[in-house]
Amino acid sequence: MRYAFLVAWREYAENVKTRGFWIGLFLFPLILFLSVQVPVLLEQRATPVRHFILVDPSRGLAPAIEAALEKSYQRQVLAALKEYARKNAAPMTNSAAPRPAPSLEDLNEADAQSLETFVAKGGRDFFLAQLQPRLRTGAPPFQQPRRPFQEVKLPSTINPKADLPSIADELKPYLRQDKLVEADGVPVQLAAAILIPPDFENQIVNAQARPPAAAPRPSAPTQQIQYWSANASDPRLREEVERAVNAEIRRCEYLARGMDAAVIQQVEHTYVPFASLNPKKEKGQEAVGTADMIRQWAPSAFVYLLWVAIFAVIQMLLSNTIEEKSNRIIEVLLSSVTPGELMMGKLFGIAAIGLTMIGAWMAALFGMLSWKSGGASELVGQVFVVLRTSNLVPVFAVYFLLGYLMYAAFILSIGSVCNTLKEAQSYMAVITLLMMVPLMTMVFIPKDPNGPLARVLSWIPIYTPFTMMNRATADPPLIDLVGTLVLLLATTIAALWMAGRIFRIGILRTGQPPKLLEMLRWALRR
Amino acid sequence: MKSENEMAGATALESGKGAKPGELPHEGGVPGVAAALELRNVTKLFGQFKAVDDVSFSLSPGSICGFLGPNGAGKTTTIRMVLEILKPNSGTITVLGRPSALEVRHRLGYLPEEKGLYKKMKTWAIIAYFATLKGMTRKAAKRRAFELLERYGLKEFAEKPTDALSKGMGQKVQILASIAHDPELVILDEPFSGLDPVNQQVMEDLIRDMARHKRTVLFSTHVMEQAERLCERILLIARGRLIFDGSMAEAKRTMPCRVRLETEDDIAPLRNLAEVSAVRAAPPANGQVDGREEGSVQWELELRQDSDPQIILQTCFGQRIRLKSFNQSEPTLHEVFMRLVGPEARKGAGNE
Repeated sequence: MRYAFLVAWREYAENVKTRGFWIGLFLFPLILFLSVQVPVLLEQRATPVRHFILVDPSRGLAPAIEAALEKSYQRQVLAALKEYARKNAAPMTNSAAPRPAPSLEDLNEADAQSLETFVAKGGRDFFLAQLQPRLRTGAPPFQQPRRPFQEVKLPSTINPKADLPSIADELKPYLRQDKLVEADGVPVQLAAAILIPPDFENQIVNAQARPPAAAPRPSAPTQQIQYWSANASDPRLREEVERAVNAEIRRCEYLARGMDAAVIQQVEHTYVPFASLNPKKEKGQEAVGTADMIRQWAPSAFVYLLWVAIFAVIQMLLSNTIEEKSNRIIEVLLSSVTPGELMMGKLFGIAAIGLTMIGAWMAALFGMLSWKSGGASELVGQVFVVLRTSNLVPVFAVYFLLGYLMYAAFILSIGSVCNTLKEAQSYMAVITLLMMVPLMTMVFIPKDPNGPLARVLSWIPIYTPFTMMNRATADPPLIDLVGTLVLLLATTIAALWMAGRIFRIGILRTGQPPKLLEMLRWALRR
Repeated sequence: MKSENEMAGATALESGKGAKPGELPHEGGVPGVAAALELRNVTKLFGQFKAVDDVSFSLSPGSICGFLGPNGAGKTTTIRMVLEILKPNSGTITVLGRPSALEVRHRLGYLPEEKGLYKKMKTWAIIAYFATLKGMTRKAAKRRAFELLERYGLKEFAEKPTDALSKGMGQKVQILASIAHDPELVILDEPFSGLDPVNQQVMEDLIRDMARHKRTVLFSTHVMEQAERLCERILLIARGRLIFDGSMAEAKRTMPCRVRLETEDDIAPLRNLAEVSAVRAAPPANGQVDGREEGSVQWELELRQDSDPQIILQTCFGQRIRLKSFNQSEPTLHEVFMRLVGPEARKGAGNE
């Protein structure tokens, strides 16, 4: 046994020194970090300002549209200001001085009322001044977010009084980016043009029941409000304008029917609160909170982690075994240790490496979580609570151990008969394909953790670790839990035993790797 | 390390007497001293192919034994069975008195035919690692590794990874790794391949050193000159069968003694000698065409076993055959090998 440990220790120590290990260690968290941050950053910084032209001869809708876009922008400013405050200002303390009302913390950008208050009080300037005394030293200045959409005037060459089709025609070169329009003296590209026909009211589709004879025929596009844009992939402007226009139409309709818009708004903001409760929980604790949400989804995260861990580690095991075989060091080793000791040493040495990497990744994940949520570090706290109180971590440990050993047995068998990684490819392709199944079903299973698919998959030994991990917090029936565990254990032991025999024979042979059938014969004969 | 007094003891062991009835052939040396290695009727089959066919031999402690044979003769298979990397189909193997090499693996050293090292590991670390696998403590192993590297001229490479070494240096390191734990029985499969003459000499000295300290060495090689220099005992194996087992002298005696002489005179009297089994006009030795005097012929005489070449000289003097040159040479191991193994090997080659 001591020799198995020596072999394992060497594997660990030597691998940890390699560049590959450290790259793998940092790569995964880095990729994770980038895949989250980069889209956000791009969204914030790289999306260009969309310039648009609004042609509304009757001036019936233009004011509403402009107001709506301004409001949306102020919402953005409020959100940005709040984020700035969170990062750079000391929190409000319950000091003796009366709290200025309202303060930034009271406002919620999602709430229309808050937004109105924000704008009414003076917007950015007012609240920035309010924040001033609380700002930390060395805090960077507030960076106001750019307006996503900017209205520009019709180019002077186009006659604003002409009919809409001609204006549209004349705008086409600008829309196609062949020519540039002017915005505050700076030439910019025109992203979109909105043309509102003077008789747009005739286009309003009314839900009120009408005699079929009087049902309006669908009108040609030339008579509808037109949104011209060469860019079909960014629908935000169109959506916002559509929303604004429809809100305004409805407001007018309310008015026409004699209903008070303000009253309507109040009615729309009434609601009844709902409490989410879970019958499985203890009395008094029934309320469903963030912890329960985390508990519901954590197994999926663990399954993913399990999968990545097993997959990465068995690759290492494969290349290690093949390397030792191809540089013939295996023969000297076999004169000092038994094949069994060698196998065990490898299994555990490489598992240790895998676990080190997982540990590092988890630490990185937590670090990132807490950095991102910042003030909401309660989220991280909740996560820890869930981890401590639930059985997730020990379950993970058990399934990682058994799952790894089982797959490692397959890998050792393959590695012992192949002389190069290339020869191992066809075997590895099969294994990779088989391992895709847990990944594909990973999201579905928590939705129906004790349903037929989950149960069937749990009983297939190569999928047991992943599926059962996924069902961990969903109270699977005892027979499933114990039965699949026993089956997994038996399969793992059998796989290891067979791998031992194949390893013993294969490791000394050179030449073409044998067919699967012959390998089985080695494992089962004598 | 043992003192020089051991040397006397070691040489006394090697007497190489013939087999007595009831004894195994060539147990060598003092009866009663347990053999370092003993094989009895060992056979190994790979499917239908008999890689090793009823091989038996015995090595006494402190001897250097050469394990010779053509490629594919079964040397490596036999060695692997000794080390219990493979199991024989029949027969027994006793290593240092135990039935299983695994029981005494700490006292065994092995250098395989195909050499390989962990590329990224430092030189001292590899030697130390293999020493720990043989039971040494880490500290002792490390000390030993540095000691050996210094003694054999590799001190500057101690901290470098093994892929920085040339092939020959790497091989040296591997040999050092196989003996770092001071084993009693060392099996070296082609230890000299890839070494330059200087390093070959170093290896030879190392092997002699080991034998002097009563360690048993079994090594296989294709370099006959080295085997001649080093071995007291030869095992010759071909196509799985042991075709010769004996001392170097005995091996050479299997070849007829040859005498080369140059004379102008008629050698008829020599032909008639009982001791002479064949007479040939010898092909001229390389580069000596000019040296040969006109009219004289070079003759090669083959003598029967146990003949004394001096008879030829005496006959020449008696018959007044004037000699320009007279040369009596021992057969080389190379010639012995070719003679014993040649037909077997050709049979084998013909089948492939």
